Amino acid sequence: MLWWLNSALGTLIRIIFMPLASFHPWIAMLVISLLTALLMLFVYKKTSDQAGIKRARERIKAHLLEIRLYQNDFRTQLNSQKELLAANLRYLSYNLKPLLVMIIPIFLLLAQLNLWFSYRIPAKDETFLLKARFIKSVDLMKLNLEVETPAGLQLETPPVRIIDEAEVSWRLRVTGATGKPVIITVDGERYLKSIPATNRSLTRVSPVRVRKNLWQELLHPGEKPLPADSLLTRVELVLPESRLEFAGISFHWLVAYFLLSIIFGFALKGVFRVEI
Amino acid sequence: MSGRRSEEALRRREFLQLILGTSAGLLLSPTEAFLKTAGRRETGLKVLVLGMDGLDTILVNRFIEAGLLPHFKKLAASGTFLPLGSSIPPQSPVAWANFITGTNPGGHAIFDFVHRDPRTYLPVFSASESLPPRHNLKLGKYHIPLSGGEIRNLRRGRAFWQILEDYDIPATIFKIPSNYPPVETRQKTFSGMGTPDLKGYYGLFNYYTNEYKTVTEEYGGGGRVHYVYVIGNRVEAKIPGPNNPFVKGNPETFVDFRVFIDPVHQVAKISLQGQEFILREKEWSGWKRIRFEFIPTQTVSGICQFYLKEVRPKFKLYVSPINIDPADPALPLSTPESYSRELAKKFGPFFTKGLPADTAALENDVLDEKEFLYQDELVYQESMAMLEDELKNFRSGLLFFYFSNADQRQHMFFRLIDRDHPAYNEKLASEFGQVIEKTYQQMDRALQLAMEKTDSRTVIIVMSDHGFCPFRKGFNLNTWLLRNGYHVLRPGTKPEEVTLFQTTDWSRSRAYGVGLNALYLNLKGREAGGIVRPEEKQSLLRELARKLEQITDPETGERVILKAYITEEVYSGPYVTEAPDIILGFNRNYRISWNSPLGNFPREIIENNPQKWSGDHMTAPGLIPGVLLANRPSRLEQPALEDVTAGILSLFGIKIPSGMTGRPVF
Repeated sequence: MLWWLNSALGTLIRIIFMPLASFHPWIAMLVISLLTALLMLFVYKKTSDQAGIKRARERIKAHLLEIRLYQNDFRTQLNSQKELLAANLRYLSYNLKPLLVMIIPIFLLLAQLNLWFSYRIPAKDETFLLKARFIKSVDLMKLNLEVETPAGLQLETPPVRIIDEAEVSWRLRVTGATGKPVIITVDGERYLKSIPATNRSLTRVSPVRVRKNLWQELLHPGEKPLPADSLLTRVELVLPESRLEFAGISFHWLVAYFLLSIIFGFALKGVFRVEI
Repeated sequence: MSGRRSEEALRRREFLQLILGTSAGLLLSPTEAFLKTAGRRETGLKVLVLGMDGLDTILVNRFIEAGLLPHFKKLAASGTFLPLGSSIPPQSPVAWANFITGTNPGGHAIFDFVHRDPRTYLPVFSASESLPPRHNLKLGKYHIPLSGGEIRNLRRGRAFWQILEDYDIPATIFKIPSNYPPVETRQKTFSGMGTPDLKGYYGLFNYYTNEYKTVTEEYGGGGRVHYVYVIGNRVEAKIPGPNNPFVKGNPETFVDFRVFIDPVHQVAKISLQGQEFILREKEWSGWKRIRFEFIPTQTVSGICQFYLKEVRPKFKLYVSPINIDPADPALPLSTPESYSRELAKKFGPFFTKGLPADTAALENDVLDEKEFLYQDELVYQESMAMLEDELKNFRSGLLFFYFSNADQRQHMFFRLIDRDHPAYNEKLASEFGQVIEKTYQQMDRALQLAMEKTDSRTVIIVMSDHGFCPFRKGFNLNTWLLRNGYHVLRPGTKPEEVTLFQTTDWSRSRAYGVGLNALYLNLKGREAGGIVRPEEKQSLLRELARKLEQITDPETGERVILKAYITEEVYSGPYVTEAPDIILGFNRNYRISWNSPLGNFPREIIENNPQKWSGDHMTAPGLIPGVLLANRPSRLEQPALEDVTAGILSLFGIKIPSGMTGRPVF
């Protein structure tokens, strides 16, 4: 069920980003931040008590004015502070409903955007690790393990088996254009791990494929989960982090996304007559 | 001399604490960052100087005749090919300072790798000094600096690129020695020899093993062995970083890392600070960035390389000295500050330690010859890529570009071309006897690149600071002074157990040796316990110079010291009074011994040098001139380093400043 939801959302994002794939990732970031701001404004308008919010904000302003005007009247000051606090709490309570409505879609969206902005695909001649994690009861030394790499990737090392962590790692080198998955064969069972294509500036990268598990699937929505009975619990590509650069400063995508969404939200709230 | 220098002298821990104290201070106080580069006057003339450290005239000649250096030959035929007079002494920091300032050591105050503090008699680094923040806020065990520390370049005199700047002529100076920290300028400069690693050493490697091994951690560098246990195919260890200036006592910082070894294959995964990488046995990791934390808001970034030397039966992992990260330099590396970041962005992490090749690791058998050469080849390839890039952007003015490879490899491989060297090894010679020759050919390829990427109007100069000769035997100056009554130890002292003049009776000692070529009188009014009266100075100097020049090696009958230079006679300029009193100009094959420079008294006056560090350049400068090649004819028959400086200024039509002793070579 969750996979279908992830898959649908993934397709939607893919469609949005499709025309932007050859542009700088900042363009995609601007577009998705704008769309998010519009979505948030819409949801906020529809789910919140707009009149109540307006009232609460005006009350807050009034109490602030009261505090300034009656600076010498201690009793009035105390009363204003109490009323200000109450108005603030009321204002926050009006925000609770839209927050609850938006929290799950935004979480799903963030998990999807993470696939587009978090990782950099290693360039030609760069190396990265392929890590496979198994269920704890597996005897790694008896396991029949094979890795098949597609064209454009070369397996450079034998496996490093860490017995007490049930983990096996290999080093891969990028030798050319990639796009086809790596195949890990475990005692005759074949498991695929997707490898992103390397020729576009904006590419969806799924670094982790996990076994069926609600929380893990929420965090790693990039690929269909591994079967629930598989010996493998997780397959991971250890990829370099990607950052967005602006004026010599590099940003984590999440910072850029939230900043831009908030800026767009505030810039457009007047246009859509939304009380925030 | 700074009032604080005596406190630092040779107490290494304090010395390093100072350096890192300064680094932390600099982090807290914005310096003159982001200086704009110098005026970009289009000069029409372009001058390219390739500084190839240690290139020897005799060898260049020999290899040209053998047809191995076609581009050197071509350049020589187009203008100048002459021996280039080096400095007294012909040590790199001194020689390059001669070139930088166009003067002799009396004009720039760099006389040796190591100077001494006259108040303590202890050695101090000659090139730079670090001063900690003046004010600290003490909060329990934490010390919060309230002002910035300072790193001071001790070379005096103006650098020639500062003079070019006065005339608005752009210059890029890449890794010239004796320029750490880089002097203030609007030109683009990157510091070279003398730039420390992140710990403040000239290079300290780390070696992790479960085999018994000793390595030397010496004054300013060397290595450190970490004995580790391999338990369950896992090794847990720490990489030592800079001392923490924010904590009382300045404890060393560490970064933990783990190594996971495959139970069967010769391969391991290394995990540190969220990074994971796999190395097969005998593989290098490439650069890895690590961060050392002082306090949660203050960290410094370094870069290092891992080499998995052996997985089993013994575990052996080498970690290179931690270079200052050029992308986020904790200590000043360049002018403007952004130049370092610009290079890091273009090339990724690169060697920033002054002399990048880890000669100490080879000396201590932690790296073998092949492994050392692999590392130094990385240095060469990196230099070539950077030279190509600089040439691409070279449109006007001056470009100086430095190569360290010939110097470092001749130091370590001379034993394999000198059959009379105590460390000569037939088997190694058959495998590595061509290293020096091949290195000269690599320098020829660098020149080829320069010739291909510049137009015919560009003046191309190839120069070296000194030549090379074998270092077969070491001379123990302090032992000689002791045996000849010029130096006296307190009664009951065993001389060979003394270090750093600990038991010297200064009330009866008239002379002492500190540094690689320097002899000082214990002069009244200058040294803390000076006894030689100023009126006695001249006669004592002449007596010492005469006797030193008479010393012969009983085994060979050769003179050990060809010339003892009285510095007042050979130096000129405002800093002559700070100079050692005598500079020893050794004969070919001889040098100061390993122990004498730091105030020790080994048993023998002359001893064999069995070490891999087997070529050197501490002789009388006339024996080992550098080399000068240019596509312009020389106006001088016997040019010296400072004449090249004057020649460069002259090419740009600049009048030679009054303090400069060089005569224009072009």
